[in-house]
Amino acid sequence: MRWSVNPAQWQGRSVWHRGVSKWVGISLLWLSALAASPLHAQTVNFYAWGGSPQVNDYLQWVSAQTQARFGITVNHVKLADTSDAVSRVLAEKAAGNHANGQIDLLWINGENFAAMKQHGLLLKDWVHTLEHFTLTNPAENPNMTRDFGVPTDGQEAPWGKAAMVFYYNQSRLAQPPQNAAALLRFAQAHPGRFAYPLPADYLGISFLKYLVMALNPDQHPQLFAPVTPAALDQVTPALFAYLDALHPHLWQQGRFFPRQAARLTQLMGDEQLWLAFSFTAAEIPAAVQRYDLPAATRTYAMTDGSLANVHFVAIPYNSDQTQAARKVVNFLLSPEAQAKKYQPDVWGDDTVLDVSLLPAAQQALFAPAQRHPAALPASGYHTLLPEPHASWSDALREAWYARYGAHL
Amino acid sequence: MTGFKLSLLAARWLFIGCLIIPVTVGIAGVMVPAAGYFPALGETEFSFQAVNALLATPGLVKMAGLSLGTALLATALALLVTLAILAVYIMRPTLNIVQHVLSPVLVIPHAAAAIAVAFLLAPGGWAARLVSPWLSGWHEVPAASVLHDPWGLSIVLALALKELPFLLLIALGVWSQPHLQQRISQTLRLGQSLGYHPVTAFTKLIWPQLYPHMRLPVLAVLAYASANVEIPLILGPGNPPTLAVAVLQWFNHIDLAMRLQASAAACLQILVTGLTLGLWWLAECAIARWWRGAVLNGRHRQLVVRLHLVCWLGLTIIGMMMVLMAVSLVLSSMATHWPFPALLPDDLTLMHWQRAAAAVTTPLANTLVLALSVTGVAIVISVLALEYEHQAPQFGQHRRSSAPALDMLLFVPLLMPGVAFLFGLTWFAQLMLPEAIWLVTLVSHLVYVLPYVFLSLAVAYRRFDTRYTHVAYGLGASPWRVFSAVRLPLLFGPLCIAMALGLAISYSQYLATLLPGGGEIATLTTEAVAVAAGASRRLSAVYTLMQMGLPLVGFVLAWWLPTVLFNPAKKASS
Repeated sequence: MRWSVNPAQWQGRSVWHRGVSKWVGISLLWLSALAASPLHAQTVNFYAWGGSPQVNDYLQWVSAQTQARFGITVNHVKLADTSDAVSRVLAEKAAGNHANGQIDLLWINGENFAAMKQHGLLLKDWVHTLEHFTLTNPAENPNMTRDFGVPTDGQEAPWGKAAMVFYYNQSRLAQPPQNAAALLRFAQAHPGRFAYPLPADYLGISFLKYLVMALNPDQHPQLFAPVTPAALDQVTPALFAYLDALHPHLWQQGRFFPRQAARLTQLMGDEQLWLAFSFTAAEIPAAVQRYDLPAATRTYAMTDGSLANVHFVAIPYNSDQTQAARKVVNFLLSPEAQAKKYQPDVWGDDTVLDVSLLPAAQQALFAPAQRHPAALPASGYHTLLPEPHASWSDALREAWYARYGAHL
Repeated sequence: MTGFKLSLLAARWLFIGCLIIPVTVGIAGVMVPAAGYFPALGETEFSFQAVNALLATPGLVKMAGLSLGTALLATALALLVTLAILAVYIMRPTLNIVQHVLSPVLVIPHAAAAIAVAFLLAPGGWAARLVSPWLSGWHEVPAASVLHDPWGLSIVLALALKELPFLLLIALGVWSQPHLQQRISQTLRLGQSLGYHPVTAFTKLIWPQLYPHMRLPVLAVLAYASANVEIPLILGPGNPPTLAVAVLQWFNHIDLAMRLQASAAACLQILVTGLTLGLWWLAECAIARWWRGAVLNGRHRQLVVRLHLVCWLGLTIIGMMMVLMAVSLVLSSMATHWPFPALLPDDLTLMHWQRAAAAVTTPLANTLVLALSVTGVAIVISVLALEYEHQAPQFGQHRRSSAPALDMLLFVPLLMPGVAFLFGLTWFAQLMLPEAIWLVTLVSHLVYVLPYVFLSLAVAYRRFDTRYTHVAYGLGASPWRVFSAVRLPLLFGPLCIAMALGLAISYSQYLATLLPGGGEIATLTTEAVAVAAGASRRLSAVYTLMQMGLPLVGFVLAWWLPTVLFNPAKKASS
């Protein structure tokens, strides 16, 4: 390092002044960069899970579109977990910030929605004012206005549909397990090759819900009603017996759980895992094309059922950009944006629009495309399992943490 | 008093304020909720509720022990290898080479180092592929992994790797101070003339003189290691995690009541860091006492073989790690499909770099805007505070009297666990200035950037040959003119280095960006940590390489610019 000061390097004022002018130039450049920074445009802060590159790329496209059409920048704030945003709004409300919230738009469903609705953290009665909401045909599709059994009451707009799929590395595993019991036998035969995320993660709790439904085929009606201690006691013995047997054979012997769903993809890419699962079926062939998953990856659905749900977008009650946020949501529901999202090479997320209501030219945008070998085969789902009532998520998660570790 | 003098005085108080106020406010901001007072949650009376909840947490002792143990072990390891390298190579040109080879590690962010170590240790990583299947017999990726080990050994490895170059730099900085260098080299020659092996002479005669000058930086490193978040987050165990990681998780818990417990845990973190420093001091005393006896035992070749072994082993391991990490990051960032155990990917692609380039503009802009503003402010404050120190006699004070106190002050933010005071600071800021997240983030960065910028400038400033300014004053120049026309141009090189250092420190901030910004200000470092937990190894490699490259660009510019802009010697010869 040049700490030394060499007087011979210094000759006079002119050199110093030339240096000064250079620095003035540099700082002007820097100031112009400041002025161009997103601080100054009209910006909708869209807090959305950031674990999928496809979703991230799609939201960049959305931002470019809304900039061109309405002059609104959609700033995707990438969340590791949607509950972070929920606790942020809650903290803002607790601090008395009722009109200047940081979050303008939130990708949400299930228990996060139930919690925000219960605490009055969401903007009310705005969804039916959206021009494109009628295209979802809510009168015929009750899923568009119910979220994990909880009525949406116009506080969130449907955005897409998803169901749980499993995927495996065919070069290591010829025959993947087809149901919960076979999954346990697979884990015992191949220790360390399967993992599920912590139940704090949406995919982790979804796995528990799948197991509860698959292991208690007679108890389903109870699961769609708000949870009671008695109902919980009826379904957990089978679940815990299963997990007790499974955990020693998980990745890292069940001592370290992936915190986030995306970590499963990474571990599959590393070939540490041979079998994993996802709520975004289209993400799997896309990840293969991005080389994040092995070429031999194949997707399938379990024969004892696939958990399925709709995901939504909501506006927090204290956003100061509600008009702009509504414009963005209306754009998200437009046939053009939905069709773009439906493309397997973009995101591959199923549309919430009732395609039969669209003119023929727009219907053509949703025509099935050529399937990638890693994609779920056409009609790949056996049974779709609707989500249990939102209150089950908390109950199952607490029961899990009480049994397997308070600070995992 | 002239305007220049006034601004010097203002800068001095601003300097002190920037170091003290955020930390004090932050500590208060966690202590009050820890004492059970949190009106937003309806807790309006002081109670032991939060402390009791914390003490009831299972595994609390293990968490604290993990923080303490990894910090002590990593720092001891790094210091031992530093000692060995110095003892073996002191006064030899090899030392310069070693320092230059290690300097890239010095400037890469902790998060990048942790991700790189994760690449290295991954069961299907390049290191494993090198020995598979011919040596290891692995045809499949091994199911067992050394990452996330319950003892935190991968944390120790990453911490030690990151600390070693810093400690070496500090030691060489002490060594290069003229008044010490002369005495030390004379002592060393004296020892050798008495028949001592150079290594033994260094260990017995020089190290006991050198170490007291390094103590504060070593303690700062130790404090940082005990409360660091990025490295255990990426490499550490999950059940239980280190205390600092648990604090972060509890603060972000959906149940707001956990914030009380998190605040109590943050206070415990301060105690744990204090305990770590205390244990280090005790160990220091014990070793010093034992060594005082050993110094006089007359053995001329004591520790020669062992220190050579430590030095070579350390350098070999670090060298191998650096090569393996670089190769595996670069290959991963350009890999197509890459089945195990193939040594090379099926093919190479620029796809991952293109994807990152498309997504990185905003984080990069945020990173640069933050770093340039913070470093600019830090340099102005530091230079003016140093000029004040220089002109202190005219303010009616003795020149050197305030310098040691000021230097001690610099270590306040470096010794205090960031995970403790940043949460308190954020909480206060949300109450007082909910709109000003950029300002609060700037201040949080400044707390970390200012000490390093000041320390790096102070060396050159205090060593400045005052005859130049005396001549200028003698010609009738005003203090401002002497400052602007004589001193600053002569200090152009050190200013560039301080700039690059400040930028690097700001780039690397993870918690200081994440907390005050509420996750809204994405920088290259916060994105890199998020992407590392994401789906794509390939993309993670790209982000890590970008994170490593950015500070290097700054240092290359800092070394190169002075040779172009203020190099009359070169101009004269051309």
